[in-house]
Amino acid sequence: MEFFPARIWVVIAAYNEAAVIHRVISDVVRCGYRIVAIDDGSADQTAAAACAADCVIRHPINLGQGAALQTGMDYALAQGADAIVTFDADGQHRAADIESLIRALENARADFALGSRFLRGPTGLPLSRRWLLKTATLFTQLTTGLHLSDTHNGLRAMTRRGASTIRLRQNRMAHASEILSQIAASGLSYVEVPVSIEYSAYSLAKGQRLSDALIILLDLFARRLYR
Amino acid sequence: MIAQVVLSLLLVGVAIYAGNERRRSPAVAVLSIIVAVAGLYFTWVPDHATHVALWAGVGRGVDLVLYIWVCITLIVLLNLHLKLRTQMELITILARAIALADVRSRPTEKPESQRMSDLAAARHMTDEPHQ
Repeated sequence: MEFFPARIWVVIAAYNEAAVIHRVISDVVRCGYRIVAIDDGSADQTAAAACAADCVIRHPINLGQGAALQTGMDYALAQGADAIVTFDADGQHRAADIESLIRALENARADFALGSRFLRGPTGLPLSRRWLLKTATLFTQLTTGLHLSDTHNGLRAMTRRGASTIRLRQNRMAHASEILSQIAASGLSYVEVPVSIEYSAYSLAKGQRLSDALIILLDLFARRLYR
Repeated sequence: MIAQVVLSLLLVGVAIYAGNERRRSPAVAVLSIIVAVAGLYFTWVPDHATHVALWAGVGRGVDLVLYIWVCITLIVLLNLHLKLRTQMELITILARAIALADVRSRPTEKPESQRMSDLAAARHMTDEPHQ
């Protein structure tokens, strides 16, 4: 199946990203994709700065990135999207990589194309962050059975069928693991695609720390205790 | 005897509460019932509590019953946390519905001219060197 840019929706969840969101959205707009930006209850001017997006959805309160992505995916599906791409708002992804993900969906006939920063050689990532991500990757392999090299990459693409199987209930950072476990449960095909991450002081400050990893583990555990 | 009756009533209350919670969070319910039943048993057979306490290194049976009560408190706290998470999920569904309804109430489809001007503006911005 061939995907046309006008039928591809890029979902960008943003919380207090007024400083960078305009540039991020502008880069994606240049590629011709449709964009839905979700302002997750920001206290700054994120919604105004995201005006170049085709649609800006405002959560009345801050719910978390997972909740914002689900809102964006619901909207994109309602608009008839053939493919949906999730894209971080902090400027660490390159809009040009979206094309690689979409081509991977087409060529591999997969339902999910997952970005991996580790398939392109050295990442320039600080050692502590690299070990944290490697540990998360090992954990995901053990819990989902998916063989991936990068389990916490926010750049991913999915077909309409794939997106319809995702129903995020982890509002906060644990949604990245939840998506993978739902991909595994769906039985649909997936492929990993090399992508670049541009680390800046801004994006590193917004990234996850060891304490966040522990919270994610607790969130995932707590989610198993109730229906 | 009075203390035993009061403690038993409380433990029976915990077991009933856990039974009511079993549909929503089975793991917590089972855990609560097991601990409550153990507490009931040791309340009425304190000699066994002392034996188990000595075996576990607690020292006295009464201390063991106290520790069981602490366990129950922690389990109930966990259950409250899970209830809060359930409430948060409902709030999320509600907030999402409000956000999406707000979008539906205003025109979202950009006219082609607007889209082209956004594209031009984006091009202009990205042609400029970034700081």
